[in-house]
Amino acid sequence: MAKLYVDNDKFGYQSASPTVEAFHAAIKDIVRRKLDDCGGDWDSFVFDKSYDLITAEDMASVEQMLLDAGHKFDWSAAISPREKPEIYKPAAGVSDEDMATFSFEHPEAKTADADADGRELRGIGDNVAQYPQNCSGTARYIRSPDQVLKYLNEGVPADTIAIIDDSGGTLTAPILEHFKGVICAGGSTRSHLGILTREYGVPCLMNAKISGIRQGDIVEIEVTAKAKTAEAYQTGVEMTANVWRLNKA
Amino acid sequence: MAQNRISYAQLLETNNMMQTCSDETYWLCVTRTVQESKLFPVPAYMMLSYLNAFYRYPSLLKKIESRMSAEEIGDRARNMGMKIQNPSMGWALPGFYLLGREWLINMGLLKPTDAIEDVVYVMDFWKRFQLSWHRNDGHITNKEYGHRAQVLPESRVQVFHADMYDCVEGDELHEAAQTFMASASQYGFLISCESRISLHNSGPYKLADDREMIVRDFMDLSESDFPWLDDVAAGVPHNNITVTMAVKDCHFYLVDDWGSFEAQPEFKADKLVGVGLYTSDNLSDGYMPLGMESREALIAKFNELNAQVKDATTQLWKRIAAWSRDQMIDAGAITYFAIIKDLAHVAGVYDVDDWMKIDERAERFRPLLNDEFSRDALGELVGLVSHPSQQVMEYTMAMHSNKPVRMYSNIPYSVLAGEPYTASSGPVYPGITYLPEKKDAYTTTRGRMTLAEYNKASREFTPPTLTDKYRHLCDTWVKYNAGSELADEMYKLEQARSRNLKGKGSSLKRADVEKLRG
Repeated sequence: MAKLYVDNDKFGYQSASPTVEAFHAAIKDIVRRKLDDCGGDWDSFVFDKSYDLITAEDMASVEQMLLDAGHKFDWSAAISPREKPEIYKPAAGVSDEDMATFSFEHPEAKTADADADGRELRGIGDNVAQYPQNCSGTARYIRSPDQVLKYLNEGVPADTIAIIDDSGGTLTAPILEHFKGVICAGGSTRSHLGILTREYGVPCLMNAKISGIRQGDIVEIEVTAKAKTAEAYQTGVEMTANVWRLNKA
Repeated sequence: MAQNRISYAQLLETNNMMQTCSDETYWLCVTRTVQESKLFPVPAYMMLSYLNAFYRYPSLLKKIESRMSAEEIGDRARNMGMKIQNPSMGWALPGFYLLGREWLINMGLLKPTDAIEDVVYVMDFWKRFQLSWHRNDGHITNKEYGHRAQVLPESRVQVFHADMYDCVEGDELHEAAQTFMASASQYGFLISCESRISLHNSGPYKLADDREMIVRDFMDLSESDFPWLDDVAAGVPHNNITVTMAVKDCHFYLVDDWGSFEAQPEFKADKLVGVGLYTSDNLSDGYMPLGMESREALIAKFNELNAQVKDATTQLWKRIAAWSRDQMIDAGAITYFAIIKDLAHVAGVYDVDDWMKIDERAERFRPLLNDEFSRDALGELVGLVSHPSQQVMEYTMAMHSNKPVRMYSNIPYSVLAGEPYTASSGPVYPGITYLPEKKDAYTTTRGRMTLAEYNKASREFTPPTLTDKYRHLCDTWVKYNAGSELADEMYKLEQARSRNLKGKGSSLKRADVEKLRG
C-alpha cells in the first residue's frame, strides 16, 4: 500500500484523543488506498484527483466504523442528539421530568455541613465580577433551547439563579438579563457568558464545581469574592468563590 | 512538480510569520478557554470553516488584490469600524488558513510541502495588510506591541477625544451606553453563532494622566451579508456601530488580537466616564457621528439602538432555535470563514457565492463532524497541540507552554534543494449551503443597496483623507508640518463632522483638545 509523507514522523505518533486517532487512522487508510488506485503519484493526486476520489461517503464510513464497534459519541449541542439520537450518548437533565432528580455532580466539588449561619457549602466557582453583597435566589437548571423558549414565552421566574453548563453566550441570549445570578459549570471568567453577565451586571460564577444542588433549592453565591483574572488563570493561582445552599426545595 | 519560484528569504519570512501566529494562537486559546455552546455545534463548524479557509482564501485574496492591494485596504481599515480588524486580520486570516492546512496534514491529505505558493502568498498578504493597518503604532500585530492596538491617526483620536460626552455611574447617559453595549455584545455573539467576532476593542489611547480611551466596534449587525439576518435585522439601522469609551483610574494593560481587553484595576461600570457613538463602513467618509449633537440626543440614540438590537436578538434567537444542525454548522462555518469578507467589500468584488457558501472540497468532510470528534480534534489542534504533525524535537520549549510542540508546520526548506512540492490548492470550487439564499439587500451608510450597487459604489469611492493627496501624510509628517496649509486641510477633513473640532486644523495638542471639550 502507498506510504504517506506523514507515515514517517520522528516525533509525532498519534493524536491524544482515541476518537480522533481512530478517525484519522481510518482516513489515512482511505488516502493510501485511493492513492494506490490512481497510480501513486502524489502531485497529481493531492489537489486534483483526490477531490473526486476522497468523498463524503468515505467520511461517513469512518464515523460508521466507530458506531459499528459500539461507540456512542459525546454531545455538546442540544441539536445533535435531537437529530441523531442513535449516534450520541443519552441526553440527561434537559427535560422537565429529569429535573426532579437531576444535579450537577463535580468530583472536585468542595462541600461541607451547614455553618453557623445555616449555609451548607455545595461547591466553588470563579467569580466574574466583585459585588458589595452576595447573591441568593432559587436554583433553576437551564440546559436546552426548549427551556429557554419556555422562559422567553412565560417570563423568567423572579429570583432565579440559573445553573448552566454552557459557557457560551447564545443559549440564554434572550433571557440572560432577567436572571438574578448565574452558576456556570464550565468556562472561565473570560468566556462569553462571563463577559455578558459582567456587562449586564448579573452576578456570576464560572467554572463552578458543585454537587447536590437540585431544582428549586435556595442558593447563595459569594460574589463579594475577588474576581478571577486572566493572569490568575495563566499562572495557576487559585481564586475561588463559594456556592452555598440555604434551603432545600 | 512546480518549478522553484519561492526564494529562501520568502520561506524564512513565511515560516517566521507562521511561528509567530502559532505562539500567539496558543496563548489566546489557553487564556480564553474553549468556546462551547448548547445551542451551536461550535467545534464542528470551526473545523469546517478551517477547511473552507484553506481551500478558498488564496484564490479569494488574489481576486481582491486584482482590484486593490492588501496595503491599500489596510489604509482604508484605519478609517472605519468594519470587520477587518484584529480578530479578522490580526489573527483569523492566517489562523484559519493554517489550521485547515494542519488538520489536512494530520489526515494524510496534505504534505507540509503542498500548496506552498498559496501559503507564502497568504502570509505575505497578511503581512502587508497588517503593517499598513498598524502603520501608526509601527507593529504587525497587537501581540508584537505588547498587546496594544493604537492604529488611529492623531486627527481621528482628537475628534473622538473632543466629542465624547462625560458620564458617571448612575446618570442617564452612563446607563444608556452600558445597557446598549451589553445588548449589542449579546446580539453580536448570537449573530456570530457564539463566536466573539462581531465585537472588537482597540486602543488604549492616553487621554490624560488618569484617563484612557478604548474604541469598541460592533460589526455586521444589520441586514447585510449574512442570510440569517435577512428580515430579522432589518430594524437595526446601522451595520457597524462604534462606541468610544473613556475610563478613569483604570489601565488597559492588554488588548489582544482577538480584540479583547484586560484592565488593572478591573474595568467595571464605575470606571466609564465618557462615551461617543459612530457608524461607518467602506462607503462612509470615516466615522459618522450618531446622536452626537447633544447629550440628550445621544441618550435617546443609545436607547433607540438598544431596543432595536434587543428586538432583533429575540427574533434571531427564535430563528436559530428552529434550525437544523446542518444549518447551524453552515452559519457558524460561514461566520468564521467569512471573517475577512469585508476585504472584498472594500475592493468592490464581493460575491455571495465566494463568501456565503461551503466549498465542495471542504463539504466532503462534514460527515466527520459529530460533536465528540470535532471537540477533540479542535482541542488537540489549538489547545493541547497534540496532533502528530505538531510534535517537534524533544529539546524544544515552545513559547508559553515549554512543550516540544509547534501549532503550524513549517514549510520544509528542502523544497529549495529539490524536494518535490505543489504550488496551489487550485481555484474556488462550487459551494453549497443549507441556509436560505441571501436576499439582495445590503445595509450601508448610504442606505439599503443591492449587491451590484454596493460593489459599484465601493469601486468608485475613496474616502477623502485617503486620496492620493493625503494617504501618505502620516503622523510623522504631521509632527514636522503641523499648521501648514496641507496639514490643516487634511485635519479639517477629519474634523468636518466634529462638534468641538470643526475647522480647528492640525496644530492642537492633547491639552488643547481637552480644553475645547468645555
